[in-house]
Amino acid sequence: MNPRFVVAKVTGAIGTLAFVLAFNFFLFRVVDDNPVDNLFRGRNLSPTQIASLEERFGVGDPLALQFVKYVRQTLQGDLGLSIKSSRPVSDVIMDSLWPTVWLVGTATALSMVIGTLLGIHAAWKRGTVTDSSATAFSMITYSMPDFWMAMVLLAAFAINLRWFPTGGFEDAGSTATGLSAFLDQAHHMALPAITLTLGYIGEYMILMRASMLDTVSEDYLQLARAKGLRDTEVRRRHAVPNALLPLVSLSALNFGYVLSGAIAVEAIYSWPGLGRATFNALEGPDFPVLQGLFLLFSASVIVANLLADLLNGYLDPRVRLS
Amino acid sequence: MPPALPADRGIIVKYGRLAGTVAIVVGGALAAAPGSGTAQDPGVPETHPLIGTAITAGRPGVTLTIGLQQDLDSPNVTAGYLVSSFELWNLQYATLTDKAADDFATIPGLAESWEGSDDGLTYTYTLREGLEWSDGTALTAEDIAYTVNRSRDEEWINHSSTTANLTATAIDARTVEIVSGVPDPKLPTMDVYIVPKHIYEPLSADDILTYDALDGVGSGPYTLEEWEPGRSWTMVANPSFYGWPAAGPTIDRIVFRLFENGDAMAAAIGAGEIDAAHNIPAESVDPLDADPDIVAVVGQQGGFSEIGINAGAGGIGDGHPALLDVVVRQAINKAINREALLERLVLGYGTVGATVSPSPDPSWRPEIPDELSLSYDPDGANQMLDDAGYLDTDDDGVREMPDGGRPLRLRYGQRSESEYEPALSEFVIGFLEDIGMAVEPQVYDDSALTEVIGRGNYDLFAWGWTPFVDPDPQLSYFTCDQVTVDPAEILYNDANWCSEEYDALYAEQNVELDPERRREIVHQMLLLMYEEAPYVVLFYDADLQAYRTDRFDGWVLQPSETGPALFSNTSPSYVRLRAAGTAAPPTTVPAPASTASTASTTSTASTVTGSSGTGPVTEPSGAAVPTSPPATVGPTTAAPTTAAEDDDGGGSGALIGIAIGAAVLVGIGAFVAGSRRSSRDDRE
Repeated sequence: MNPRFVVAKVTGAIGTLAFVLAFNFFLFRVVDDNPVDNLFRGRNLSPTQIASLEERFGVGDPLALQFVKYVRQTLQGDLGLSIKSSRPVSDVIMDSLWPTVWLVGTATALSMVIGTLLGIHAAWKRGTVTDSSATAFSMITYSMPDFWMAMVLLAAFAINLRWFPTGGFEDAGSTATGLSAFLDQAHHMALPAITLTLGYIGEYMILMRASMLDTVSEDYLQLARAKGLRDTEVRRRHAVPNALLPLVSLSALNFGYVLSGAIAVEAIYSWPGLGRATFNALEGPDFPVLQGLFLLFSASVIVANLLADLLNGYLDPRVRLS
Repeated sequence: MPPALPADRGIIVKYGRLAGTVAIVVGGALAAAPGSGTAQDPGVPETHPLIGTAITAGRPGVTLTIGLQQDLDSPNVTAGYLVSSFELWNLQYATLTDKAADDFATIPGLAESWEGSDDGLTYTYTLREGLEWSDGTALTAEDIAYTVNRSRDEEWINHSSTTANLTATAIDARTVEIVSGVPDPKLPTMDVYIVPKHIYEPLSADDILTYDALDGVGSGPYTLEEWEPGRSWTMVANPSFYGWPAAGPTIDRIVFRLFENGDAMAAAIGAGEIDAAHNIPAESVDPLDADPDIVAVVGQQGGFSEIGINAGAGGIGDGHPALLDVVVRQAINKAINREALLERLVLGYGTVGATVSPSPDPSWRPEIPDELSLSYDPDGANQMLDDAGYLDTDDDGVREMPDGGRPLRLRYGQRSESEYEPALSEFVIGFLEDIGMAVEPQVYDDSALTEVIGRGNYDLFAWGWTPFVDPDPQLSYFTCDQVTVDPAEILYNDANWCSEEYDALYAEQNVELDPERRREIVHQMLLLMYEEAPYVVLFYDADLQAYRTDRFDGWVLQPSETGPALFSNTSPSYVRLRAAGTAAPPTTVPAPASTASTASTTSTASTVTGSSGTGPVTEPSGAAVPTSPPATVGPTTAAPTTAAEDDDGGGSGALIGIAIGAAVLVGIGAFVAGSRRSSRDDRE
């Protein structure tokens, strides 16, 4: 691949990241000036205690100095202390990272596979009952709000049928390990994962279907058929690979959003992920945690975007040459 | 006897001033409550139709699971401040004196007895014999003295209101002397959490605030084993706890499970996933209570919500001049329909407000004589305002001052943190419109509202309080001393109301030894304040909770009849739970309690004698715990069943996992095969 193309893309990503780093800082400073006031107001704190709290959270200094400290700390990987819990922000984020990756990652992967397959088949058999029912299904699940779907599934399968637990990551206080821990977590994850998968499928299905329809009318497919290839061969070897290109960008981008979690669904199922961490940090607000989360979210989207660009450049020569 | 106290400003109890918290339950001792529980297994854990309990196995013993929606902020008693953390500390740290479950009377805790000097400034406490921390280290008078003195010097937020004027000295291993710099009627009650000196001593004053406090060393019935932020925390029985019955603890482990969604939590207790739940949604109270195995609790701890009126005594700020007139304040009181607010804002869970509530013990609140009543009467309010000359001279629907000048347009400070505030402000606008006043709501976060109130730049505001057990602190907030005169130092009297008569009564109750007489004085004070009307007390708040009775019996309400079962002042339920269907424990008085309180020079101490004489507090009456049919499953059958369920569950869990996997594979195979076939068809 053209090194200049790669260098340009990587530099662009780093620049965006630097901008986000600075923007994040000032964004939260616009909202409120002194979280110590906000959180500890009314407590019987002496001026010395207030000063030491301000020192701890680094909110007593002039803004410019705070900014320099913030940038230096962040570059060293230190995201500061959570105001609410006095724990390092990186610990707060790490606690929630795995549940979110596990849940949203699974849902994204599942919906990608199912959505793409549905899209391929719907396009290949456009105008048939298969097409219209697959399209209708995707449109309906895609347009349903995820919190509503979550509530319905919770009411039906956790509350009435009691097939699944009402929430949480695993049985509370469980010390199980190995297979039984995995099964326990999978059991807890089933409903939120199904909710998210249903919500995501439509996007992939619709895009894949449209892309396939474009491809289907191409001359080279006629040629392939004329060579006497079987229909499935034509689809598998000539239609699908070309139609997949837009899907690659979308998938890569969506994997970037995996880390952002799913605030509504995580809240309804008490899933201890990053979405819920964001939600909790907003009450307060716990600026250091929010800053850390936003940085993580932005960074993951930027990196995913970069990967999508590079992947597209690799797959499609037109992109890297133009 | 001690002269009048300077105003005591305990830990802030103005709830909501701390983001994310609803109330601060002021720390107390944990429930000593010896003599309850049995050693028997309380029954079969809930099994799941799809995946059995084996998945949670690997933990032997009996587990109690509590659902709640608020995570710990910090297990560190010098740093945390949320209600959930107080529940943790109530279980982990015993206190020198404990509080009775029924009525908060001071009873022996770590100390089995105490003696007061004649001047009431010095108390000498004798510790129980053989006290140990959960790690086996001896718990001595050194630990007590260390906690008292260090918390005073470093102003620990949850200790300093009690220890600010105290000096403690360890006389010998079992004797500690506590000297108060000022006369303190709350002594001999010592309800601060005692921390283990051997754990805390190496921590510097700077390090202590960020200490993670996961050491799990405590002196109470349960100590922290593990905290998984955002998910749960687990506490295990502490065999060294002084208050266990002879047979030891019934429950080996308590898991506090976090829910983000109140409806899901209500569903979880309905399904038996959890044994009790704190802060269930109001809509779920009736449906849960209808379940014969579940009791819903509407528990009150003295907290109340009010509208404050700027009575202007501080002489600062720009409050509306009409509010200096008691007639206008009374008219505002009469314009507010408290019944409607209770019904519409909190679905009727709570009690209609009247006077300020100074304590979780409702007996401190006076009856309101009819002639003083300021209950809903808009016509009467209009008449009062007409008579006093506040007329609408320009016919714009808003009354003017008697001199015809400034209209009665009032600013109303509204808390952005409150759940029901937007609805409340709509109601208030309507109610006051009916008596010819215009209300302009202004929304503030708690920090900004505190500032506005402190500067006196307000007319009305809505907020609430949660009082201490002793009425003194709450009463002190309304003395003239607590009126803010310098915005740089914001004090507690947020209605800027000052009455010489009230202050005189306050001083009198502070030295009154006779509890009945003190109660009368307090009633007089509260009636006086009610009549002067700087506050419209809207309602007394309630904690909505539910507990299951099919696994455990023995839930205790604190205070009896009206209080909550969990998250109460000293959390006495946990130690008293026993397997459902087993008999209540024998009501014998454990040795230390019977020797309690040999001498006392204050009214509080005389309560101790009374309480220790009656032995352990009895179970709540049938009225308080209405539905708990004794379960028929005996403990002897329960244990084997548990084991069997476990084995079975493990098998079925794995089996179902495999079955689901197989079904998915078959489905994918069918899909692929089907599409191949159909595409072949297409081609032909």
